[in-house]
Amino acid sequence: MASTPRKPLIQRSPMPGLGLSMGITIAMLSIVVLIPIGALLTRGALFGPENMWGVINRDRVWAALYLSFRLSFLAAVFNLVFGVLLAWVLARYRFPGRRLLDAAVDLPFALPTAVAGIALTALYAPNGLFGQYARDIGLALTGTGWKIAYTQWGIFIALVFVGLPFVTRTVQPVIEEVEREVEEASATLGASRLYTLRRVIWPTLAPAALTGFALALARAVGEYGSVIFIAGNIPMRTEIAPLLIVIQLEEFNYDGAAAIGIAMLVISFVALLAINLIHIWSRRRIGNV
Amino acid sequence: MHIDIDEIAKSFGTTAALHPVSLAIPSGALVALLGPSGSGKTTLLRILGGLEYPTSGRVLFDGQDATGMSVQQRRAGFMFQSYALFRHMTVFENIAYGLRARPRKLRPTKEEIARRVAKLLDLIQLPDIAARYPSQLSGGQRQRVALARALAIEPRMLLLDEPFGALDAKVRRELRHGLREIHDTTGLTTVFVTHDQEEAMELADLVVVMSMGRIEQIGRPQDIRARPATPFVREFITA
Amino acid sequence: MSDTTLSRIRFRSATDERLWVKVVLIAIAVFGIVILVFAPLIVVFAEALARGWQAALNALGTRDAQSAIRLTLLIAAISVPLTAVFGIAAAWFITKFDFRGKAFLITLIDLPFSISPVVAGLCFVLAFGANTAVGGWLVAHGFPIVFALPGIVMATMFVTFPFVARELIPVMVEQGRAEEEAALTLGASGWRVFFTVTLPNIRWALLYGVLLCNARAMGEFGAVAVVSGKIRGQTATMPITIEMMYNEYLSVAAFSLAAVLTALALLTLLLKTLLELRFADQLAATRRH
Repeated sequence: MASTPRKPLIQRSPMPGLGLSMGITIAMLSIVVLIPIGALLTRGALFGPENMWGVINRDRVWAALYLSFRLSFLAAVFNLVFGVLLAWVLARYRFPGRRLLDAAVDLPFALPTAVAGIALTALYAPNGLFGQYARDIGLALTGTGWKIAYTQWGIFIALVFVGLPFVTRTVQPVIEEVEREVEEASATLGASRLYTLRRVIWPTLAPAALTGFALALARAVGEYGSVIFIAGNIPMRTEIAPLLIVIQLEEFNYDGAAAIGIAMLVISFVALLAINLIHIWSRRRIGNV
Repeated sequence: MHIDIDEIAKSFGTTAALHPVSLAIPSGALVALLGPSGSGKTTLLRILGGLEYPTSGRVLFDGQDATGMSVQQRRAGFMFQSYALFRHMTVFENIAYGLRARPRKLRPTKEEIARRVAKLLDLIQLPDIAARYPSQLSGGQRQRVALARALAIEPRMLLLDEPFGALDAKVRRELRHGLREIHDTTGLTTVFVTHDQEEAMELADLVVVMSMGRIEQIGRPQDIRARPATPFVREFITA
Repeated sequence: MSDTTLSRIRFRSATDERLWVKVVLIAIAVFGIVILVFAPLIVVFAEALARGWQAALNALGTRDAQSAIRLTLLIAAISVPLTAVFGIAAAWFITKFDFRGKAFLITLIDLPFSISPVVAGLCFVLAFGANTAVGGWLVAHGFPIVFALPGIVMATMFVTFPFVARELIPVMVEQGRAEEEAALTLGASGWRVFFTVTLPNIRWALLYGVLLCNARAMGEFGAVAVVSGKIRGQTATMPITIEMMYNEYLSVAAFSLAAVLTALALLTLLLKTLLELRFADQLAATRRH
């Protein structure tokens, strides 16, 4: 058996600029991303797993982590459903105002989170436009005014806002690429439109929708600016995990902040890894024609 | 089932894809719609299948007006040029699709579906590929699976859009005989679209030569060859 | 004749939904976007102008507001070009050369997208804070990073790091190396190849990436909140100043500043839409819609 020569680290190429482009890439990546993240992990390692567990294993921290991940998950689920619907409407239907609607989907990407935070708070606070309706409807139906801002509902709405574009923007191009002939084939075989949507179109969109879902989830878990204004920030009830880090830092408790930061990183990466595995699995099944 | 096409016309916006054309297809015939691209042959096929609505005129199945009938109701076994196989489904699931899509009352049992799929796989002489995905098949195998899928719904007719268009010359020749055999076993009225005059002449009972949205000539292959009706037909069949 | 007209009305293309289904779906999409996107947008301007134009303009003229605007512009002016240089270098390195670990490098470049901005800020505090070895040494030599401009710039670069590279890599992969190779055989130097062959091919994609990067850079809140120390008049960027004013119940001032950032976001969206309409074929494939 002839041993194949090991692939060289960098293949020789007549292209110019290898040293320069590699140098800039590695240097900037190190300074801006790798060294800072390394510092976080080093801090955690020096602090020790037991001490870190001591910081994390408190009711207030668990409550914040649980709140962050639960509401992020629910917001991502909402965005999954609404985002697929929106992508379908934008890709398939022609109606006046479609371009405006299409452009508006990206606003949460472009609008600074702090601006979104105070705007949503102004809308959903008890004296705000939508907040008033919620109070009146609640009074009429149950006798007590419903509150949105400064409750978990407010956090949910802020997280829906920041995650809105992800699913739509990953699914929309896939819908545009669906071959009409495949849908037609399904119809000629006697399938109703609903059956075609469920059995033929949805399976092709699902991997993209899942990717968008993962991106929206990751974004929501780490979100800070749009949430803190509307959350009310009551410990054990409306306190999100990133806020705990800020509080630790304000108390100059760097070890505590590092412990919670690492916990968030680990949970996010496990979630992303799980979703990626599902993704690979579903892609392997479908293959590519 | 015999098909009557009565003064069918189709225009997309201001461009006419089909000028009023009429054609009677006898029950059990194997008919070729032959013509260059842009001749309107595929549009005519799609109108028969219910995928396109004519601007005017009528389609009659066994003498009954079927113009407004939905795609689903027509039960036309339609095979697309790209085959349009469902790539996330196995061959088995592709062939069983039409049966499983039926409303519960009309749906065969699981065992019945499995039995029918197995029978169709035998018919297309690929009994061992049920578990594969379309991406794992050769071009010729895909074509035959698409045919089996169309046959699974017990169609009232077969409509084939360039059935051999995506295949290389050698496979093309083999599969021509396969199609002829399947047509003769099932006895289905079959209409196929092609731009290849050799293919039309060799395979079809009746050839319909089309050009620029009009029918130039209808006839048996030997008649068309012996007596081309227009200069276009003469030129096209000798090309 | 009338028979045909009737059945024509009933005929529906095999790839189309029923009219009422379409209307309902479009209505849901429009309603959702109006509530989630347009309502907060309008609220920002309404609150800013709650006491008239003059009050809003006065609020923008205060010393705090002015210094915040200057600081934000300065940060964008430093961080965006640096991120663009990194993006170009990384895209060149990744698409013009073959080396082992390419996928891993791309993952590292994407890493900031899946890290909470607050955790990003925390990383910089732990890497360069005054209480660390490196940070302490830098402070002693008159070059503080954390709670100063360099830290804000680096944190901003962290959160915007992937934008330009992600936009350029797919475009440059699609365009291949043939044109550059042709220029080399004609005797062009490396820089000449880049400026006369590569840059013209990627300029719209580059502009697109820079646009998104700039919007995010000017609006970043979470990472800057942690790293800046929020020193009024010194390290308080526009989003940070919005927060401080909002917490001091200076609603008109906060929303006036927010309106400036919102106008910028709208401008960004407008330019982005124009780029997509005009140069869709020269942008990354995923953006084509």
